[in-house]
Formats: sequence, structure tokens, C-alpha cells
Amino acid sequence: MVVGKQMGLFDKLAGWLGLKKGVNVLCLGLDNSGKTTIINQLKPSNAQAQDIVPTIGFSIEKFKTSSLSFTVFDMSGQGRYRNLWEHYYKEGQAIIFVIDSADKLRMVVAKEELDTLLNHPDIKHRRIPILFFANKMDVRDALSSVKVSQLLCLENIKDKPWHICATDALKGEGLQEGVDWLQDQIKTMRM
Amino acid sequence: MSSMEPSGDGGKWLDAHYDPVAGLYTFSSCVDLADLSGDGESRLVLGDLGSGSSGMKLKVYRGTALMSESTLLDLPAGLVAFFMDLHEPRIPAVAVASGPCIYVYKNMRPYYKFTLPGLEVNTLEQDVWQQVREGQIDPLTLKEMLESIRKKADTPLSVRSLRFLSLEPDEMEEFVQLQKQQPIKRQTVITCIGTLKKSTADEDGVSCLVIGTECSDVYILDPEAFIILTKMSLPAAPTMMDVTGQYDVEFRITVACRNGNIYILRRESDKPKYCVELSSHPVGLVRVGKNMVVGCTDESLQGFTQKGKKLWRVELPAPITTMASMDLPTKGFQAVLLGLANCEVHLYRDKNLLSTIKTPDVVSSICFGRYGREDGTLIMTTKGGGLMVKILKRTAAFEDRDNAPGPPLAQSIRLNVPKKTKLYVDQTLRERENGLAMHRAFQMDLSRLRLAAAKAYVKALESSLTPMSSSLTEPLKMNAVVQGLGPSFKLTLNVQNTAACRPVMNLAISFLYDEGLYRMKNPYMRIPLLVPGLIYPVETFVECTSDKGISDIIKVFVLHEGRSSPLLTAHINMPISEGLMLN
Repeated sequence: MVVGKQMGLFDKLAGWLGLKKGVNVLCLGLDNSGKTTIINQLKPSNAQAQDIVPTIGFSIEKFKTSSLSFTVFDMSGQGRYRNLWEHYYKEGQAIIFVIDSADKLRMVVAKEELDTLLNHPDIKHRRIPILFFANKMDVRDALSSVKVSQLLCLENIKDKPWHICATDALKGEGLQEGVDWLQDQIKTMRM
Repeated sequence: MSSMEPSGDGGKWLDAHYDPVAGLYTFSSCVDLADLSGDGESRLVLGDLGSGSSGMKLKVYRGTALMSESTLLDLPAGLVAFFMDLHEPRIPAVAVASGPCIYVYKNMRPYYKFTLPGLEVNTLEQDVWQQVREGQIDPLTLKEMLESIRKKADTPLSVRSLRFLSLEPDEMEEFVQLQKQQPIKRQTVITCIGTLKKSTADEDGVSCLVIGTECSDVYILDPEAFIILTKMSLPAAPTMMDVTGQYDVEFRITVACRNGNIYILRRESDKPKYCVELSSHPVGLVRVGKNMVVGCTDESLQGFTQKGKKLWRVELPAPITTMASMDLPTKGFQAVLLGLANCEVHLYRDKNLLSTIKTPDVVSSICFGRYGREDGTLIMTTKGGGLMVKILKRTAAFEDRDNAPGPPLAQSIRLNVPKKTKLYVDQTLRERENGLAMHRAFQMDLSRLRLAAAKAYVKALESSLTPMSSSLTEPLKMNAVVQGLGPSFKLTLNVQNTAACRPVMNLAISFLYDEGLYRMKNPYMRIPLLVPGLIYPVETFVECTSDKGISDIIKVFVLHEGRSSPLLTAHINMPISEGLMLN
């Protein structure tokens, strides 16, 4: 922890000197899971979009935290665009995987896409941090984050750091916790 | 979510949901998928037959949960979701056919009830009921009269009279009192329902309802005013139908009927244009592209063109329980899903079996389409009332392999056949032109050859010219060997008794030869007793007396003592003597 604090200090110093490090993050998940809404919430409030429409192909968004500058590849989750994901695996240094906790029916589809992602040669042997957002917690019979992680068999991910957060992207609840975790992971990786 | 069994489908489907105790009793004709809220998420609409006599319900599922249910008054015969107007947002209505009515639901609330026009009532029947109303006849007389009407009349009785006839005598009075003031109506019931786009082929275009009735009629209804636009007649009551095209342009209604035939109705005519007579009754009818695929009770699946020409037929391992089409326009994939009684669901593209899904129970209804936000969703209900949802994997690909045993692949490889020569071509031409004459000539020669052979054979048999005796008492075999260069030859005759166990006695051998050419020491020899099976060599010496370099035949006869005709004969072609006379 002491080391971590010191790192934080260095980072802050680097930040003040305008030497913020850039990091490429892939934002993945099924269609209508809330990827764009989450990215929109993470952007500074003056840059936020009012209406979120289904993403076509992908879009690149940038936002900064205290120490890191994130470049997020917000991929479209629609079935016909999901084969684009793998072309960005190489560049990605972290992954945000968004799940619609209220869509019990398609939990298997999310699991299938996650398994395909984890078994991809560009991902399989890399210690790349994965942040899961169990989104749409505001919906009445949404599954808990524990249940989501059970259904996706997250306990089987042994060689990569991962973390799951229950979120409500419409209100922005739970997002900061996840981003903080991701930031810590990236910093430890670069040490 | 319930426990998932591994299914032998090659990993093409994801098990999204299985509720074995959903308590659903329905068939493919009463299941449909539609975006009932206009939010881009499709719902599952089911007409549940309840217990088969009560508890009929219209159920709507969203995801894994039952979203709403409403009571139906009668057993549903069919259910379709369709767009009935152009209002925004585009929300489809649900039409449930039951009895003689169609109940239309909008936003899952009852919206309109359409009743089929009544049928003509038998006048005699009407008179009888009129008399009852006036108190002229009692229930027992009524029963007798109605029964005689039922036997004779061409127009069938109304439901009320039929019901009356089925009552016990003590219930009759009450029934008559209750019913006699009502006018008699005779109505038919709906057997199947379909939709037909009105004027555009758009996904959300307004559709007409197409209904088939028990009295062998097909009606097309206007979706807004619910008036009958067209009435068509069939030779038998329809059971299943498939509709394609647009009402205002051109359409085609394929109807499977209770007489085991399939009729094809077109826009121009109110009578069927084509008819397919099946060898057994149809249990499922699905259109794939322009062809139709029919499942029959004889455990077969058959393909026909839209004009009724049979294309193919495959045998199935078990009876068909239900059929549905699998249409994935994004992948350009069309196939037929078959529920079988052996707890399997087969996927056929044309006659090729692409994949097999094992199910924990026999499937009673199948529906494939967009459910929730997933395009390739397969929804099945089971005989035990279970609900099963499977999602086609994004990466799933079906091999278009011909599984039917047919010519091997090697057969299509071209062989290096040499070019045709002029001779070959000439011969082929000759054969083509004179085929008949050639065949006749060949047949005549063949007959002659057979005749000659038969003649020679008979002659040989008659004169025992053969080196084998086939007589039953002395079956003998003989062969001769000539050794030497000449002028002296050694003649060895190997004689064998070919009988199973009887020895042969009293045999002799005699030679006949040209005495000017040959000289033989003893031209007559006795043969010892011949034990069956053993070969007896009989040796003698022949001397050629001529030095002219010529040879002749020596005839050998095997004789039975006391009989004049020989048992067998052998002709020995003597070689030319190459040596010189010594004396």
C-alpha cells in the first residue's frame, strides 16, 4: 500500500507535468447492454451526449482520470458487428465488458462472447485486466453482480485480473469504483 | 435458469432457458413472435389450450418470464401476430382463432371480435323447432324428427340440434325450454389461420387475415374493416396453410387438407389451381423459398415445387410431431425444423439433414425467429408442458453436405478417355442405324449355335461317343495319353469308376484302327474290377507301320461283356511317327 501511495504521488507529479500516460481500453458487450451510456457517463459532463443511439461499427472516445488518459474503443454489440471486436484485441491494454443484468435470456450469449474473447490468441496469454460492469441494476428484476459472475463463470478466469461492479449507467452509479480498479491495475502492470 | 443438458447438436445452439414445468399446452400453429410493445424486443405469444377443455389462455412471455396472460373463451385453433393499421408506433395486433370467431387483441387487450357468417339452416329443422316453440310437439317427438332429418337431409343439422340429440331423455326438457326461443344458427369453425400482406412486402406492412374453415372455405379478411374480401372453396376441410405474396398484387395460398391432399390457391381463381395428392396424410407444411416441404404420417419428409411437382423424399427415424421453418435472412439461411417423437429436433435444408438437437422431452411446438433482441432464437414447447429457448451461436455454420447415400465423389472425376476414332464413330453409327437387324442376326446365329450344340450332344449321348459314361450302372471316366516319338507309341488309358460305392465288373477295352497304318499287340483287353474312385492305368503299345509321315485316329471302346453298344468311346489323334522303322 505504501508503494501504491508513492506511485500515486509520482503519477500526480507526472499529471502536473502533462505527461499523462495513454491507455487503450476496449469496451465490449452485447447490444443494448449500455456500453455507450457508460462511456458517456465517464466523459466530462460538458461533453456528454443527451441521446444515446445504437452504435454502428465502433466509436472512439477519450476521457481522463487523475493520472491516466483513456482512449476507449466503444465497439458495437450488435451481432453483425461483433466480428469486428477481435481486430482491436491487439491494441487493447484493458477490457471493459458490459452485461445487461436484466436480460437473463441472453446471459448465455454474453458468456459465449466472453469465452470467445478469452480464448482468442491475442488475449489468451496476456495478463490483461478485465472490468465487468453488471449494468442496469435499476431494472426491477435485474440479477445481482454475484449471480452474473456465477452465470458467466468468472471464477474460471485465473490468469487475468478481473473485477465486477454492479452499475446503473443511467445514474452513473458504480462506475467510478470500476474505473478506479482499472486504473490501479494498469499502474501495477506498468511498474 | 435450469440445469442444462448437453445436446448433440455440434455446439451450434446455446441453451438460454429451459423450464420443464412451464405448464404450456400448445401447438406450432398457436405460437408466434412479435414486438408487441414496439420497443425492439420481441415477445413470445402463445395460445395455451389449458387442460384441453378449460383454462385456455393467451400468454405472453418476455425473456424468461411470463409477462401477461388473459383468458380465452374457447380452444385456440391458431394464432397470428399481424399489423392491422398504419398507426405509429408500429405495434402488431394478435389474432386468435377459436370456434367460429377471431379475437383480435391490441396492446394485449381485447380489441375486436369477428364472427364468420352463419351457414344456411335446414328448413325442415327450422320448422320442427318452430313447432316446439308453439308447443305442438314434445321433446321425444322432436328427437325422432330430428333424427330422420339428420339421416335424409343434405344440409347438416345445427350445433343445437346435434347437442340435443346427444342428451339423455331427462335432460331434454330443460334444454328445450332454455333454447327454444333462440333462433337457430348454423356455424362453421375455423381450422387454420394465416396472414397475407395487403399491398407491400415490407416487414411491417399491413396484413390481411386468411382463414380456413371446417366447411372447406378459405376467407381473406380486410384488416381494418374486417370484411370478407375474397372467399375461396376447397374440396376438403383445410388443416394447415401457408400464405405468400400480397393481396393486391399476387398471392398463393398452399393448403393441406383433411383428405390428404395439398391444394394451391391463386389470386385469379376461387378454386384450387394445383393439387398434390400425397400417399399419406400431411402433418406439417412449411414453405422454404419457392418450394414447399411437407411432413407426412408415414415418417417421411417430401419436397415439392410451388406447382406441386415432387422434388425429393427422405425417410425419418420417427413420426413427426411438429414442423416449423427456420429463416435467417441476415445469413440467407432457410431450413425446416422437425420435431420428432424420438425426442429429437432435426434441421433439414432440402433433403439434407444439417443438425440434430436432442431434447429432454418430445417437442410439441416449434417457433424460430427474433425473440428479445436475438434474431436466431428457437423456441420449443414440450409434450410435458416445458418451455425451451435456444439461441443460435453467432459463429454457427451449417455444412451443406449431402448426407444421402449417393454416387461417391470419385465418380465425378473425369477419366482420361482416348478420343473417338473414325472407326468407332462409323461403328456407332452403324449400330444406331441397323440395331434391329444386328440384334436379329445375332439372335438367329445364337439359336443356330445352340441347336448345333444340342444336336452334337444328343448324338454323342446316343452313341456313347463321350469319354465319360453317364449311365447309372456303370459311370465311367476315361482319358488317354500317347507317349513316344514313334514308330512305337505307348498308349495309356486311365479308367476311373466315378460311382459312389459300386464297383464295376466285366469290362473290356477294344481298339479300332487302320490296320494298314498301325499294329497293336492286343487290340482287345479285359479290365479288372474297378473300385470306385481309383484310377486304373491300362497300357498297351502301338506300332506305326507306315513311313509316309501320316497319322490316323485310333478309336477306343469300353465295352461291357455281353452288350453290343460301347459304354464309352474315345478318339485318340495319333501323332505323326518321327522315328524310322527298325526292321
